Amino acid sequence: MMSSTNNIGLEEILSSLNQLFEGVSTEKVDPRQYKIITPPEKTIPVLEFLKEKGYSHLSILTCIDWIAEKKFELVYILFNWGTGVTFVVSTYVNRDNPIFYTVKHIWPTAEYYERDVHEFFGVKFEGNENCEKPLILELWNDLPPLRKDFDPLEYSKKHYPDREYQKDAIHEARIIRGDVRGEIDG
Amino acid sequence: MSNRGNVKIDERTVWEKIADQLRSRSMWMLHYCTGCGAVELPPSMTSRFDLERFGIGPMATPRQADIFLITGYLSVKTLRRVIYTYEKMPDPKYVIGFGSCTINGGIYYDSYATINRLDYYIPVDLYIAGCMPRPEAIFEAFTKLMEMIRKGEANGWKRYKENYEWYKQNQLRSLGEVIIHDEFHE
Ligand code: SF4
Repeated sequence: MMSSTNNIGLEEILSSLNQLFEGVSTEKVDPRQYKIITPPEKTIPVLEFLKEKGYSHLSILTCIDWIAEKKFELVYILFNWGTGVTFVVSTYVNRDNPIFYTVKHIWPTAEYYERDVHEFFGVKFEGNENCEKPLILELWNDLPPLRKDFDPLEYSKKHYPDREYQKDAIHEARIIRGDVRGEIDG
Repeated sequence: MSNRGNVKIDERTVWEKIADQLRSRSMWMLHYCTGCGAVELPPSMTSRFDLERFGIGPMATPRQADIFLITGYLSVKTLRRVIYTYEKMPDPKYVIGFGSCTINGGIYYDSYATINRLDYYIPVDLYIAGCMPRPEAIFEAFTKLMEMIRKGEANGWKRYKENYEWYKQNQLRSLGEVIIHDEFHE
């Protein structure tokens, strides 16, 4: 349960965010979750500020590929163990040459999140010297696989041979479900 | 897979036939828990279904195991470990592919990370269809496997030796390199 003092603390944090950092927008997702969109140059100061205010746990650092806008959205989710409130801090970087800065000095665990984001989206984090080391995939030699312009089916077809079937079971299943018209033999 | 030469794969000496009778009644199972299917094994092994009445028990190391159970989807990363483990097991060894993912990729047919057909890389004696198979299906598979061993039909380990080149070539095609490199063990 959230106490009223914590709520006041929250209001204060939100208003000082707007005062201290220019261009930062905050949005209430629900009483326990707030989204904060920051310009890239303000992100790390905002994260440092929030860590000091009790949002000390970096739950995850991840990325979203907005291919139409040609942007990568970096998302830092911070959690406050005292109040149970979550802040989702995000920022946008250019998709063509995605470079951002490490937060390893704030949260040492970020090292692995940054390696993960580099491996799956290709975003580089300056200051993290291990950022380009492979983490999960082994011997990967294609586009970072979670980018929207990567085609997993095509990759799978090229690398991992399929079992060959006499009949097209998927097509028949579509007929049975009524998605397409046709005859089933046998 | 045709260069079998003159040696018939299902030819056995009298002693081998006797040994197979005994083997089929006492097997250790290495359950390499790759995918979701592994969750059906604890109920199979414990008192409700009681796997031991078939003379089958879990084994912790590949060096002492007879059955290799692949319980679901296999990422290429895991496949490297699977091949390594399979080659460590002493003859005779039997492989069971468990669940649709091992048969044709299942719902992960279009994944960039998982293979689509287990028997392309290592010989599989028996598949259990389903997503995921229930303990009843597992028991049916085990009794079938015991029968196959008695009849001398479960000879995947012989096929692996005879078609070693073919299997190796397939492994290399999908994996690039079968040897495992990782930062925690080097
Ligand atoms: S067959 Fe189904 S249950 Fe088994 S690993 Fe694949 S998705 Fe999971």
